Amino acid sequence: MKSFSSFHPTILFLYYLSVIFISMFTMNPVLLGCSLIGSILFFSMMNSPKVVLKNIGYYLLVFILIAITNPIFSHNGETILFFLNDNPVTLEAIIYGVVIATMLVAVIFWSKSYSEIMTSDKFVYLFGRTIPKLSLVLSMALRFIPMLKLQIKKVNQVQKTLGLYTTDSITDRIFSGIRVLNSVLTWSLENAINRADSMRARGYGLKRRTNFSLFKFYKRDGILLIAIILILVTAILGFVFNIFDFYYYPAISSLEITGVGILEYIFVFILMIIPFIIEVKENIQWKLLRSKI
Amino acid sequence: MEIIKVKNLDFTYPEQKTKALKDVSFSIEPGEFIVICGESGSGKTTLLKLLKRELAPHGNKTGRIFYKGTELEELDDRTAASEIGYVMQNPENQIVTDKVWHELAFGLENMGVPTPVIRRRVGEMANFFGIHQWFRKKTTELSGGQKQLLNLASIMAMQPELLILDEPTSQLDPIAASDFITTLQKLNRDLGLTIILVEHRLEEVIPIADKVMIMENGSMILYDKPEYVGQKLKEIDKNHKMLLALPSAVRIFNGLDSEGKSPLTVRDGREFLSNNYRNHINVLERPLKEDENRDENILELKNIWFRYERDLPDILTGVNFQAKKGEIISILGGNGSGKTTLLSVMAGQHRPYRGKISIRGKRIREYKGKDLYRHNIALLPQDPQTVFLKSSVWEDYKEIGKVMGYTKEEIKNNTEKIAEMLSIQNLLDKHPYDLSGGEQQKVALGKILLLKPKILLLDEPTKGIDAFSKSVLHDILINLKRQGVTIIMVTHDVEFAAIVSDSCGLFFDGEIISMGTPVDFFSDNNFYTTAANRISRHMYNNAITCEDVIEICKLNGVKENYAK
Repeated sequence: MKSFSSFHPTILFLYYLSVIFISMFTMNPVLLGCSLIGSILFFSMMNSPKVVLKNIGYYLLVFILIAITNPIFSHNGETILFFLNDNPVTLEAIIYGVVIATMLVAVIFWSKSYSEIMTSDKFVYLFGRTIPKLSLVLSMALRFIPMLKLQIKKVNQVQKTLGLYTTDSITDRIFSGIRVLNSVLTWSLENAINRADSMRARGYGLKRRTNFSLFKFYKRDGILLIAIILILVTAILGFVFNIFDFYYYPAISSLEITGVGILEYIFVFILMIIPFIIEVKENIQWKLLRSKI
Repeated sequence: MEIIKVKNLDFTYPEQKTKALKDVSFSIEPGEFIVICGESGSGKTTLLKLLKRELAPHGNKTGRIFYKGTELEELDDRTAASEIGYVMQNPENQIVTDKVWHELAFGLENMGVPTPVIRRRVGEMANFFGIHQWFRKKTTELSGGQKQLLNLASIMAMQPELLILDEPTSQLDPIAASDFITTLQKLNRDLGLTIILVEHRLEEVIPIADKVMIMENGSMILYDKPEYVGQKLKEIDKNHKMLLALPSAVRIFNGLDSEGKSPLTVRDGREFLSNNYRNHINVLERPLKEDENRDENILELKNIWFRYERDLPDILTGVNFQAKKGEIISILGGNGSGKTTLLSVMAGQHRPYRGKISIRGKRIREYKGKDLYRHNIALLPQDPQTVFLKSSVWEDYKEIGKVMGYTKEEIKNNTEKIAEMLSIQNLLDKHPYDLSGGEQQKVALGKILLLKPKILLLDEPTKGIDAFSKSVLHDILINLKRQGVTIIMVTHDVEFAAIVSDSCGLFFDGEIISMGTPVDFFSDNNFYTTAANRISRHMYNNAITCEDVIEICKLNGVKENYAK
């Protein structure tokens, strides 16, 4: 299901960087609409329908809340619709609120799929190149934290059967928490000594350390990279030549419908739905393969 | 040429008067499998660490160690790190990174090996050790056995010529442990790898060793072929502590005062008995224990069902169990069968969704707050380290005193009594983490006993402790039993269960399927039984411990053609 995630980490990171960058630095309603559609489409490919519906329902509420909040506090704009407590509510402010909500929800959905796709090992790989020590520290931390959690749970349970701080009162809980934390800290120091030994025994600290990773750069990574860069360049050109400019106050500016403009929008739309297209393509391919057998 | 040569090695830790190692000399040929054994504190670990330069402890060292003819200190850094591999005791503490593949590559990264080479070697190792199924997993998701295998594999990826292992199986369950030992044997046989192994679990290790070294108080008292170890040890001291640790076949052979090459495996032991002993008496008469225990059940489980969460499978499916006052009951069973869960349900840590547990005639639910754990039921967990929270054993004990509402005087008296019973007086001022595995176990037990439990639940009490500590634990448990404490333990250790329990049960598929006295239980089992029983079952019906076998052999007498 997640064929997009099998692309090279650099490509994935570049993709998310450009998508989130475009979404955050424009107020153009068409671009933001594309971004929202792309993010939700991809999110729904990655999760079960139940999860998707639940999320969409929840963020619809968030969306409405933000969209309503803006006109209540912002009274700019020249098209006054009605007065609320002697304050004007303007059409511009409502639309601006809707656009802001679109941007926020889109960025949230991108982040959700980002955290599923850019797993820790990919992140470590990306930054391990530039800062080798950091990547090892990250990797060690990622191992250590779950271990610590487990130990805390174990100690807690054992201490309860010893009859120490078994009641549910807040003071008991706090005291037992402090005690357990204290002992687990000693335990982790003890652990660290062992780990240091294990690292030294395997030659850590020798000069010329290399960084190994499982990731390979395939041809399809190259193709996607070129596609992303091309679209990104055209989009940046669009920004530079003010094609995407859009204003809400005092009056809403109109969209420039020119040939170049439409082409630009199409490009950005394609960028936004690339992950979705890749997933769909993969699904169809599998169905076809299976029907041939 | 020898791969390792040690000449007159002496070692003293800083600010210690006694030497940790005294005049140790030996040499090891390439491809040999050496097993080192000895009580805890006999200097085994010190010796091993001195052989691995990166881990050598600080202190005063005299004598010389040669690796392939070069003195250890003069070895090139890379050679020293990669050619001598070292695996430690605790599988958890040695893993450095979060992913299995990264852990495998860690040593090679340190050596500066280029990526394509690492890729090949990691792949090779994953295949050899059968790691490929969990190659991309997180290291925290692995079982103990898998973790230790990963530690071994990540060292093997560096292509060492000498592998040093310090009690690598002590934290593993018997099945994982025997898998691990088999892997070591394979490495030794197929790759000609030289192996130095320190172990408690000698039953399986001694038969595959080329030589066995026995250490005592920092000196090497014996270094010989395994067939002669038993006999030589007996020549040194007829009641030597280490005799208890030897494989059952050797112990029976020794007990019968035979001479020459001793049998090592169950197969050899059977052959030895059939060739030399008669079997006209095939049942060992035992004094019938009068059924004096007519007390009511102190702990009773009726039709207990339990699962951790609604969507998860049942772990306990209708368990029925009862224990009377002063009984020692062992529950045996495979790994992950739910034995530990059973104990935690008994201890009231988890609630069954069906069934009834009563403790001393009162339902477990009716106990409020800490009442359940005062003078009632206590659980010693598998990992004794989780019991301690303070910076000395004494402080930990004091705290329990407070829970029990003792006065200062009472705390002191009780602590002294328990310290005497467990002979841990000299450990009270130490930090719990500074103690050895067996000591930690004893001290943790002491803390639990301060709660004055009527029912004591033990989870794998013999895990990671040596044969001598086991016999000490045996005496402690029998002593407690005399005081009327009911002891229920779950264990993998069939040998220990056989000598200590009043009854044994097998836990399988969510319930306790057979219960009986150790003699009935083990002589009915074919596979799940003690080594002594497996050695003798073709001739005698109910011998389950080495002592039983020796006794019945003596009763029967030797065959006429017996050659001493």
